[in-house]
Amino acid sequence: MTTSTELVASVDIAHEARTERIPPGAAAGPVLRVIPGDVVRVAALLGRDAHLASAMAFGALAGGASLVGLVATRDGRTLVERAELLRDARPDLIVVLAPDRGDADGLVDLAEALRFGCSQQRPLPQILVSAHERVRPRIAACLPANTIEALPDVRTLAGREALVARLRAVRRRAQEDVVLRDEALEATARALSASATVDLVLLDVTGGSTSIIHARPDGVVFGIHERLGVGAAADRVVARAGLDRVRRWIPRAIEAPALLERVFNRARWPDAIPASVLALTLEMALAREAIAHALTDAERAGVALEAAWAAPVLVLTGRLAELPRASQSLLVAIDAFGPTGPTLVSRASGDTLVAAGALAARGRVATMPVPDPIAIVAEMWPRRSATVRVKDANGVVEERVTRGSFLRVPTQGAVEIVMPGATIRPAAANLELGVVIDARGRPLSLPPRDAERIPTLARWYGALDVLPLATH
Amino acid sequence: MAWRYSRWSADHPLPIGANERAVEGQEVQAGDVLAAGTRYGTPVRVAGARRLGVPPDDLARVLRVPVGREVERRTVIARTGRRFARAVSSPIAGRVIHQRADGDLYVAPVVGRWVVRSTLDGEVSRSDDGCVTVQGSAWALQGVAGYGPDAIGEIALAVDTPGAELQPSRIDVRLRDRILIGGARATAESITRAHACGVAAIVAGAAPAGGLRVVYGDEATASGANTGPEAPTVLCLIGFGTAPLPREVFAPLVALVGARAAVHTASARLFVFASESAGDFAQSAPSLALSDDWLGARPLDEKGALAGVTRFASEIEAESVATKDGPVPVANVLAFDAPRTPQS
Repeated sequence: MTTSTELVASVDIAHEARTERIPPGAAAGPVLRVIPGDVVRVAALLGRDAHLASAMAFGALAGGASLVGLVATRDGRTLVERAELLRDARPDLIVVLAPDRGDADGLVDLAEALRFGCSQQRPLPQILVSAHERVRPRIAACLPANTIEALPDVRTLAGREALVARLRAVRRRAQEDVVLRDEALEATARALSASATVDLVLLDVTGGSTSIIHARPDGVVFGIHERLGVGAAADRVVARAGLDRVRRWIPRAIEAPALLERVFNRARWPDAIPASVLALTLEMALAREAIAHALTDAERAGVALEAAWAAPVLVLTGRLAELPRASQSLLVAIDAFGPTGPTLVSRASGDTLVAAGALAARGRVATMPVPDPIAIVAEMWPRRSATVRVKDANGVVEERVTRGSFLRVPTQGAVEIVMPGATIRPAAANLELGVVIDARGRPLSLPPRDAERIPTLARWYGALDVLPLATH
Repeated sequence: MAWRYSRWSADHPLPIGANERAVEGQEVQAGDVLAAGTRYGTPVRVAGARRLGVPPDDLARVLRVPVGREVERRTVIARTGRRFARAVSSPIAGRVIHQRADGDLYVAPVVGRWVVRSTLDGEVSRSDDGCVTVQGSAWALQGVAGYGPDAIGEIALAVDTPGAELQPSRIDVRLRDRILIGGARATAESITRAHACGVAAIVAGAAPAGGLRVVYGDEATASGANTGPEAPTVLCLIGFGTAPLPREVFAPLVALVGARAAVHTASARLFVFASESAGDFAQSAPSLALSDDWLGARPLDEKGALAGVTRFASEIEAESVATKDGPVPVANVLAFDAPRTPQS
């Protein structure tokens, strides 16, 4: 990783408990802070259109908010049930989506439930209304004490962007000198993609959040940001995924209760470091499930991920990039994200890339540090045994690849990969690990029994030399 | 500092349906009823202003039963006119729970009752249908996670040493309504037995996370679990798994045996209602060290010195603190009262 950041201002990056300052390269300037942002709890009141729930989920994911409650005009709940749900959810923000004129009566019922349940909440939740012009005044009449703002249709790009901007404003708590981490990451992805003129995906896993950002060279960026992580949000990963799905990634037999203890302790110990190999493998397992569930939620929200999976460049940041071995970052990324095409995987340890992105997000010119290229991942699923030729400065290496193969070819200098039906000539020259050929198929399947699961994992870990030998 | 005598504030969120509440400024004691109310069944919508022929804003003027009051079936809720009277009567027995902006009313049957009790001795500083807040002075110990409903009782010791595990055999019905002090670990067996014996709450250095999930279900997280009033109450002071209590934390608990106390689970605090001069409890507690494999935590009794950058078994290189059990990453050492939630 390039150490000089060439930043025009110092940037403070907030982690779980500590803050790291990235100093400017040239002259001392003002300090910009990068923060994860407040947790914003959003509840939605929905009209009849079946797509509204997924549009709302997409908006919440893009804005890094927690969707804590959905009530719909046709959910069959009574006034009391809706009011209890909304009161227990303690929303900071209510989004009302009612694009059809016929939603008016149903939405008024929901607004009455909101007033019944949350009229005593302090502070009162703000309300964003994306509704037919005849619906809006009726909702305002039901909720005279709440602040109500209009919002474009969130099923459209403009509406979603407006919702995201509003959510981020709430998460910033009206502080002017801060940039949200997800904003900084999106600016980073946009700049890297534009400079490389290829599609790029940035994966960021921290203690409290997971971001997956797809940037296109034309400047179009979409990101999903979820409160799932390997630290403070580790218990949320287990709550979402289930303990067994986390445990299956640990390459040794381990009792579920003892694993849960470790997860809970980590969740309440900000910025804890995995000093043992077992704790490190747990962090890797949590990262995999955090990414996998963020992707699942994105698919459920109707996000098309095919282009992201096919992006030729994958950049890793956050805790994911700070694992001691590059092979650890790589294995987590390809297990959880599963790129479908030949992909150059790089990682940016430290926070310089986030700092540069923060400045870019504020319109300041920043030289983007170049992340360290780790490996080219070539995913394939051959019908029968196939030959893959890897050319580098040392010559040509031929590997026989069958279904289930997972192997690494160390390389030096410029690389060319000849696969059945394709020849890849990546731009990156010096790859830390070389070329990784992944013929394990997707979705990855791990045997449920330890007697078969552990040898399978050990083979994958061994192929990339992921852990110290003594632990295999 | 682990123990603090200070003025504290405790929020008590109310369910829907409060019909009596303590008023602002009222003096209360821990255990006093702050609010009581009813649980509702399926509500019935009753035409109000439309039926009476009055504007919705004028409905309050003609109501004979205000919103919130219980009614019998056919009770006249509102009425206008004299010779040609129009009236709205309740179709069911229950409570008038809500008036809509369009002037209609909801009447719901009563299917249960609830009460919320104070967890502090003090004065009510906020009281509305959403929450009652009490402010008062007490000795307090901050934990990392509270599970179950708030609890009030007298402190009782159930272990001999701060590093001992709370044994189910030490728990019987004589400890009913007490807040039991466990040592390093309160197992699921001891939690369920204590609950069966009527114990108000268990306070321990740690509880097994798996056991907490057995008791509270899969919704239990590292920051606690919201449950109904029938669940046991557990307060974890340091973490999960096993965590011996520092002497500076345990000794005051021994001295405070028999004192009135309360566990406020939302803030994960133990409040003890003893005078400020009850003892020299406000001593600085040793730092806590998370074990390398994150399986538990322990107090660092010795003075830890910085040992420079160390390469750990995971191959992570980080600043470390030297301890008699080997170096510990600086990040894995926290003050007892350090915030355990990430900054926003």
